[in-house]
Amino acid sequence: MTLATNPSVAEAAEEVETSRRHRSYGRYVLGKVLGSLASLAFVLVVNFFLFRVLPGDPARNLSRGRFVSKGQLAAFNKTYGLDQSVPQQFLTYLNNTLHGDLGISIKYRVPVSQLILDRLWPTLLLVGTSTILAAIIGVWLGIRGAWKRGGAFDKASTGTSLTLYSMPEWWLGLLLIAVFAVGWGPIPGIFPTGGLHSVDAQPGTLSGVLDTAWHLTLPVITLTLAYLADYSLIMRSSLLDELGEDYLTTARAKGLRDIVVRNRHAVPNALLPTTTVIALSIGFVVSGAITIETVFSIPGLGLLGVDALETPDFWVLQGTFMVASAGVIAANLVANLLYGLLDPRVRT
Amino acid sequence: MRTGRVVVPPLGSQVLRQLWRRVTHPGVGIGARHAVLAMLERLTSRLRRTGHGSQRTPARALAAAALVIAFLTPGIALTGSSTPAAAADKTTFTVGFVSEVDSFNPFLGFQSESYEAWALTYDLMINYSMKDMSPEPGLATKWSTSDNGLTWTFDIRSGVKWSDGQPLTARDIAFTYNRVLSGPPWSTNWASYLKGVTSVTAPDATHVVLKLNKPNSVLPLLPIPIVPEHIWKNVSDSEAKSYSAEPKNGQPVVGSGPFRFVEGTAGGSTYRFEKNPDYWGGTPHIDEVVFRIYKSADPMVQALIKGEIDFAEDISPLQVKSLQGQPGITAHNGNGVLFDEIAFNTGSVDTKTGKPIGDPNPAVLDPKFRQALGYAIDHDQLVRKVYQGAGLPGDTIIPPSYPNWKWNPPPDQAFSFDLEKAGQLLDAAGYKKGSDGLRTMPDGSPIGTIRLAARSDSSADTSVNTMDYFKEWLADLGIKAEVVTYTSGRLTEVILDGNFDAFQWDWYVEPDPDGMLNIMTCGQRGGSSDSWYCNKKYDALYAKQHSEQDLAKREAEVKQMQQILYTDSPYLVTVYPTTGEAVRSDKFACFQPQPDPGGVWLVQYGAHNYINARPADQAGNCDGVASAIGATKAADSGGASSGFWIGAGIAVVVLIAAGGFVLIRRRSTVGERE
Repeated sequence: MTLATNPSVAEAAEEVETSRRHRSYGRYVLGKVLGSLASLAFVLVVNFFLFRVLPGDPARNLSRGRFVSKGQLAAFNKTYGLDQSVPQQFLTYLNNTLHGDLGISIKYRVPVSQLILDRLWPTLLLVGTSTILAAIIGVWLGIRGAWKRGGAFDKASTGTSLTLYSMPEWWLGLLLIAVFAVGWGPIPGIFPTGGLHSVDAQPGTLSGVLDTAWHLTLPVITLTLAYLADYSLIMRSSLLDELGEDYLTTARAKGLRDIVVRNRHAVPNALLPTTTVIALSIGFVVSGAITIETVFSIPGLGLLGVDALETPDFWVLQGTFMVASAGVIAANLVANLLYGLLDPRVRT
Repeated sequence: MRTGRVVVPPLGSQVLRQLWRRVTHPGVGIGARHAVLAMLERLTSRLRRTGHGSQRTPARALAAAALVIAFLTPGIALTGSSTPAAAADKTTFTVGFVSEVDSFNPFLGFQSESYEAWALTYDLMINYSMKDMSPEPGLATKWSTSDNGLTWTFDIRSGVKWSDGQPLTARDIAFTYNRVLSGPPWSTNWASYLKGVTSVTAPDATHVVLKLNKPNSVLPLLPIPIVPEHIWKNVSDSEAKSYSAEPKNGQPVVGSGPFRFVEGTAGGSTYRFEKNPDYWGGTPHIDEVVFRIYKSADPMVQALIKGEIDFAEDISPLQVKSLQGQPGITAHNGNGVLFDEIAFNTGSVDTKTGKPIGDPNPAVLDPKFRQALGYAIDHDQLVRKVYQGAGLPGDTIIPPSYPNWKWNPPPDQAFSFDLEKAGQLLDAAGYKKGSDGLRTMPDGSPIGTIRLAARSDSSADTSVNTMDYFKEWLADLGIKAEVVTYTSGRLTEVILDGNFDAFQWDWYVEPDPDGMLNIMTCGQRGGSSDSWYCNKKYDALYAKQHSEQDLAKREAEVKQMQQILYTDSPYLVTVYPTTGEAVRSDKFACFQPQPDPGGVWLVQYGAHNYINARPADQAGNCDGVASAIGATKAADSGGASSGFWIGAGIAVVVLIAAGGFVLIRRRSTVGERE
C-alpha cells in the first residue's frame, strides 16, 4: 500500500537494485577477465621452462645421420640464438612475445606466427566443423534417448555412440578411407584419401571451396562420430536428472503436449552441463586433432606441435602451446561470463 | 591437445569383428537402408501429427538436400574429370612422401625431401653418375687441378639461363660458394665441403677457380646448389636465417634446374614444380611434378592404389610385398647409402681435459671384447626377421652402393655368425666363464650387465628388435645384457655424456666417403662422433687420404681405414637397409636405379629420374636403358567412370528423396497453411 502511494520510492529502490546488480555483474566480469589474464601470464612463463626440459639438441637432431663439423653446429646455434644462456633466452622470449613476435622456427626456419597462421584455417575447418556437428547431433541424440529412455532409439544411439567413442579415431579414419576413398566392393571410392585440397584447386573460388569440402568430408565425419558420445551422453544424463522433477509433472498437468514439456521445460534446465562441455571443446579446437590430421594428412596445429617435439623446436612448441592455452582460457572465460548471466548464484 | 583415445584391445577386436560382419553381409546393409527409410517415414508422420515447426520443415529439408549435394558435387565433378581429355593437356607426376621439406632455402634445409626439391630447382657444378654416384659434368663441363692440388679450375657451360631469363655464369657459382665461406648462417649446411678453400673467383663468365691452402680430395664433388646472384645478393645475413626461398605472388622461384618451383611452403602438404622447357640437360618428358606429403605411410599406399599419386617413397617392406601383387604397380626395395650399426662406447672423455667421463662398462672399452662380439651377430637373421628382408647384411661403414670405396673383408677376417669362435676369442682375451656360467673380466670381477640402448622412435622398431636379438646372442655367450630405450633426442644426450655401453643407430654415407670417415676421427669426439673412437693411426690415414690427389692411392687408404675400424670394432655394422618404393608403372615408366643395379628410383643424388621418367604410353624401350623399369598394363581402367556413375546415381536418388520429402511435407501441411 505504501509502495503504491509512493511510486517514486519504489522506482528508486528498483533503480538501486538494478544498478547494484549491474555493478555486481561488472565486478564479476572484471574478476574473471583478470583471472584469465593471470592464467595467460602464468602459461607464458611456464611455457618457456616446460619445453626446455625436453631432451635433445636441435642442431644435432636435425643434422643427425650425416657428417657435420663442430663449427657448423656452433654456427647453427649462433644463428638461432641457441648459444645464449637460458635466462638470456627467457628474456628474449618474454620481450619478443610481448611484442607479438613468436620467434623463428628452428625446424622450418620461418617465423612461427606464419606457421601457426598457415595451419590455423585447416584446423578450424576440420576440428571446428566436427565439434559443432558433434554437438548438434549429440545433443539431439541425448534428448531423444533420455526422453524415451530404454527404448529402441536410446539403446541404439547410446550403443553406437559408445562404440564409436571407444574406437581409436585413426582406425575409424583408416576404415573410412579404405571403404569410401579407395572403394570397397560395390561402394565407389568417391572421396580423396587425404589432404586439404586438390593440387590444381583454385582457392577462393566456388570450385575451390567445394573441393576443400569434398576433401574434408571423411575426416569431419570421422571426428564427428568420435566426438558424438561426449555430448550425447552428457545431454542424456542431465536430462534424465530432470525427468523426475515436479515442475514437469506440473507442466503435464497443465495439459501441455509431450513435445512442449520436453523442449520448453525439461531441455533448457538440462542444457547447462552440455553448454560447459561445448564451450570447453570449442576452446580445444585450436589444439587440433593429432591422429586425424595424421591419417588424413591435413596440415593442422596438432601435428605442428607434435612434430616440433622431435626437434625439439622450442619456438613452435611455445607458440602452439600458447595458442592452445589462449583458446581454452578464452573459452573458459566466455563460459564463465555466460554462467554469470544464466545463473546469478555463481556471481558471488 | 587431443590425442587418440586408448581402446582396450578385446573391445577393439570386437568392434572390428562387428564392423566386418556389417560390411561382409550385404543383407544387413539393405536392412539398414530400410531402417533409414522407415525412420524418415516415421519422422515425416510424426511431424505431420504434431504440426510443430511445420513452417520451417520444407526449408530445413531443402537445406539438408543442398548440403548433401554440396558435398557430393565436387566428388562427382572431380571423379568425372579424370577423363583422357583433361589428362592430355598436362602430364602431372605426383610423388607421395612421408616427411616434408623443412626448408626450400638450400642454405638451411636438412631433410632429404629438401635435397630432392633443390635438385629439381637448382643445378650443381658437378653431378653424380647413375652407376655409382661418381663425378660427372653438371654446370661444369670440364675440371682440372694443379699438380700440388691447391688450384682447381672448372669450365662452366655457356648459354645456361635462369628461369627469369638472366644468364647463368661462373659468377653465380663463385657468389654461391663465397656465401658459404662468409660464415653463419650461410655456412651451417655446406662449410665442411669447402674445407681448405681460401678463395673462389670467376675470372670470366665460363671459369671458376678455387684456391686452397691444403689439398682437398673431396673435390670436385660439391653438393652445394647454385643460386642466382642477382636474387640472393639482396638477402642480408640477418634475413638469411629465415629466408624461405618460396614462390611469392605466383612468381616461381628463380633457379636453373629441370623444374621450377611454383607453389608450396616449407612444412606444407603440397609442393608443385613445372618443367623447365629450356633445361640444358634435356627437356623433361613430364610437365609437372607434385610432391604430396603424407603423415603416415598407410594412407599414402591407399592413394597410390587409387591412383591419386603416381609414386610412393619410403614405404615398409610389408607394403612393398602387398603392392607387388597389384596390377599396374611396380614396387621394390631399393639399395641406398645407409648403414645401421651397433656402436660401443670406446672411451668417453672430456675433450678439454682428456679425463674419462660417463660410466661405460669396462668390458666394451676393450677392442678384443668388441671384436669377439662381432662373431655373435647373425646378420642374415637380422635382415630376415627385423628388416623383413629389406636390407643387405652389413660389414663395413661403406655400403655396397660405393663399390670403389668399399673394403670387403676377406673370408678369414669377416665376422661370420659363430658363437663358438666368439667364445674362444673371449676366453683368449681373459673373459672366462665363472662358476655361474657368466663371463668375468680378466681380473675375475663380474662384467655386470651391458646396457644396449635402442631408439623407441625408430621406424618399424628395427632399433629395439635388433638389440633384443643381440641380447639373446650375448646371453648365449654368457654375457648379461639389458635393452634400454630412449627417444633419439635423449639418446644423443646420453651419448654425449658417455653414460652408455652400446647403442643402435644409422648413418647416411655420401658419395665421397670423407665425411663418414671423419666422424670416426679423434677430433670429432664431442662433435659428430658417437662411439668416442680415437686411433692415431686411423687419424693419420684420414689426413693422408683427405689430401691425396691420386685416386687409386686414396681408394687404397680408404679401404685400409675401414679395415682398422673393422678390427677395432667401435661399430658392428649390422645391416644396409633398403628403401621401399612403388610406382604406378601403368602411368609412368623409365625410372633408372641409382646405384645401378639395385638402387633407389627417387631421392637419388640428382634429379635424374624426373628427367628420365615418361608417361607410360610414350615409354617405348626407354631409349634402350636396360635397367629402367618399363611400362606395365593398366589396372582396371573402368574404376573411375563406374565410380562416377555410381556417385551420380546416389546424387540423383538423394535429390529425388529430398524433393519427395518436401512435397510430402507441403501436402501434409496444406490444411494448416490455409
